[in-house]
Amino acid sequence: MTDRTDRPSAATRQRRAATTPSANPLLDPITGFLTRRACLQAAIALAAEAATVATGLSAIWLDIDRFRQVNESFGHSAGDRVIAHIAERIRALAGVQCRLSRMGDDEFVVLAPGFDQASANDLARRLLLEIRRPLHVDELVIHPSVSIGLAVKLCDEEPVVWLERADRAMSEAKRRGRNRLVTSGDELLTRRLGVELAREELAIENALHRALENGELCLHFQPIVRPSGGVEAVEALMRCAVDGHQITPARFIPVAEKTGLIVRLGEWSLFQGARCAARLREQGTPTKMAINVSRAQLISPKFTQALHAALVCANLPPDLLELELTESLFMDLAPPVQANLGAARAAGVGLAIDDFGTGFSCLSTLKDLSANKLKLDRSFASVLPTDRRSFAVVKAMTSLGSELGMTVVAEGVENPAQLAALAEAAVDATQGFFHARPMPEPALMAWMAQRLQ
Amino acid sequence: MKDKTSNAVPDVDLFLERMLKDLDVPPRPLIIDRIKAEMDSDRPNLQRIGQLISVDVGLAAGLIQSVNSAYFGFRKRARSVHDALLMLGLDVASRAIATLSLRRAFPVNNRLERFWGASAQIAVLSGWLAQKTPHRRVQANDAYTYGLFRDTGIAMLLLRFPTYRQTLERANADCERAFTTVEQQDFPTDHAMIGCLLARDWWLPEEICLAIRHHHDHSAIDLTDSGLPVASRHLVAISQTAEHLVQQLTGGSRTEEWQKLGGSCLRLLELVDTDLYQLHTEAKSLLASVD
Repeated sequence: MTDRTDRPSAATRQRRAATTPSANPLLDPITGFLTRRACLQAAIALAAEAATVATGLSAIWLDIDRFRQVNESFGHSAGDRVIAHIAERIRALAGVQCRLSRMGDDEFVVLAPGFDQASANDLARRLLLEIRRPLHVDELVIHPSVSIGLAVKLCDEEPVVWLERADRAMSEAKRRGRNRLVTSGDELLTRRLGVELAREELAIENALHRALENGELCLHFQPIVRPSGGVEAVEALMRCAVDGHQITPARFIPVAEKTGLIVRLGEWSLFQGARCAARLREQGTPTKMAINVSRAQLISPKFTQALHAALVCANLPPDLLELELTESLFMDLAPPVQANLGAARAAGVGLAIDDFGTGFSCLSTLKDLSANKLKLDRSFASVLPTDRRSFAVVKAMTSLGSELGMTVVAEGVENPAQLAALAEAAVDATQGFFHARPMPEPALMAWMAQRLQ
Repeated sequence: MKDKTSNAVPDVDLFLERMLKDLDVPPRPLIIDRIKAEMDSDRPNLQRIGQLISVDVGLAAGLIQSVNSAYFGFRKRARSVHDALLMLGLDVASRAIATLSLRRAFPVNNRLERFWGASAQIAVLSGWLAQKTPHRRVQANDAYTYGLFRDTGIAMLLLRFPTYRQTLERANADCERAFTTVEQQDFPTDHAMIGCLLARDWWLPEEICLAIRHHHDHSAIDLTDSGLPVASRHLVAISQTAEHLVQQLTGGSRTEEWQKLGGSCLRLLELVDTDLYQLHTEAKSLLASVD
């Protein structure tokens, strides 16, 4: 532990100053806490001390959730009183050795000397719970909550960098839905993975959490068209926008798979996709809805229940739903995957093999699969009509698929020449920009309605 | 000024419950995700939220009506949705909106009336219990919302399948198997899964959604390594206890869940039988004020 003999004087000074707030420019008049500038000075001093006595030193960064609303709803003087109450709660828990600062309107920092990861974590958790208690100001009852970031100072780390880490962890707590504690994980991640990659993945993971919480996730839909002009099905594609920036599925799906978020994302698209299909049906344009499903979802024993929950909620007949599965999934059919696919098929839900021809599956394995649709990878259509060898492969696969009773779809059709070649190869339907780009639901509804006329 | 622990929360809930009965114009649930998105932005714009609500006459009327009621005791009267939002604060307002919209999402159906009544009672007692348990791991707000939404899957299944009523009776009477196991015998899904997906669609916090998904899983309450957040486990335990109290006090819609899960719930909440007796007495007067 640090030598505390000269320490209480700072805390006492702080307390004394709270009663005569305007006396000291380094103290915040409402809370008696240190100001932002004084906080940095305190951090530098504590870091120097901690280095000489080799003790733990932690920073806990607190940000009151939605404080702006309190100010807006009840006025600034009520807001100040709320801040004073919350500061009092922090002071009561933090203990005399901690340095307390008010960093801005609704932000506080607790610098905790002698606190290692475990004890700082404990203090932060207690702060989280304590601040959450309902607060009476005038005749109002306010239910505050706080987002907390925690960073334990690393050896040789600049105090500014250390505080920034606590701040970043707090922002992450906000992103994950507020009212929670996040410990700065930089040092852990550095050990676990390459730093840059980890940062990128972490950012995407945060973005996904946030998108799920805030509804920044949506489905776009791309029609699959028969040579007659009829619509064979519509494929639902996930879109994720954070702060107005689109993150492509190619970037977020792998992260979602790694973190297990894919199950939640997958259930979300099943639910939303089924609903859209139900609305298409209501509109008088009933069309099969194809939804991408990952291996992580199918391995879960709850998949069948989730699938049917989506159908029940949407009131959608199962034959208007189709699951798109990657070719690689079929190469290693674990028993739970097989059971879930079997149950889906038995209920009348369609199964399509997506991106066919890119993996290494043998054509002969097709006969063992329960799928009823084959979607040829876009790489085939892209070289048509000039590449005659590709054309031969497409023709052979189409003929084999038909013999097996499967519907064969070619993806990636972008021009009339490609479409003509695919028609010659006798594919059952095609999908691509030539027909339509993926579009949001209202555009899809209009597109379908127009086709009906 | 000293801050004291609030007892006002369950009263808000009672009030919202009464408000439900007074409204006829069905709001569009679509509004909820728009409001939620705006509320969760870093700088929620009250003006914009007000505009979104105003589009929906039922919702706007409900909000203004509630803020002007004697319950909140504001001297000033709200004349617009914007006034109502300013006076209620976004948190209370958003719960009011969810409460108003929940029942409107289901068609008016006499068979569901008893079901909604029981949900409302469980919700009120859950919100109250959240403040009574020694370790207050969940907020009264969340416990209330959870109690209200926990069994929406049952309402959905009752609407879709006429035969579900018989399944429900058997699940209620089964002393050994999990409730959801009985459901799964007759249907390919169960009300916990449906409720979870519905709750996510209503943008409820994930802890609440997961608690709905696992509210009949014994191991989810008992095991710390079940992967379920602590808050979710507490929500499950609180609402099961609330349901037990409601059933004891009203004698209505009996289930065997307390036989199966009661012990785990009390352990998690660190309550003993004598506490339960005390709670029983207090709950009685609270429930009497709901009706």
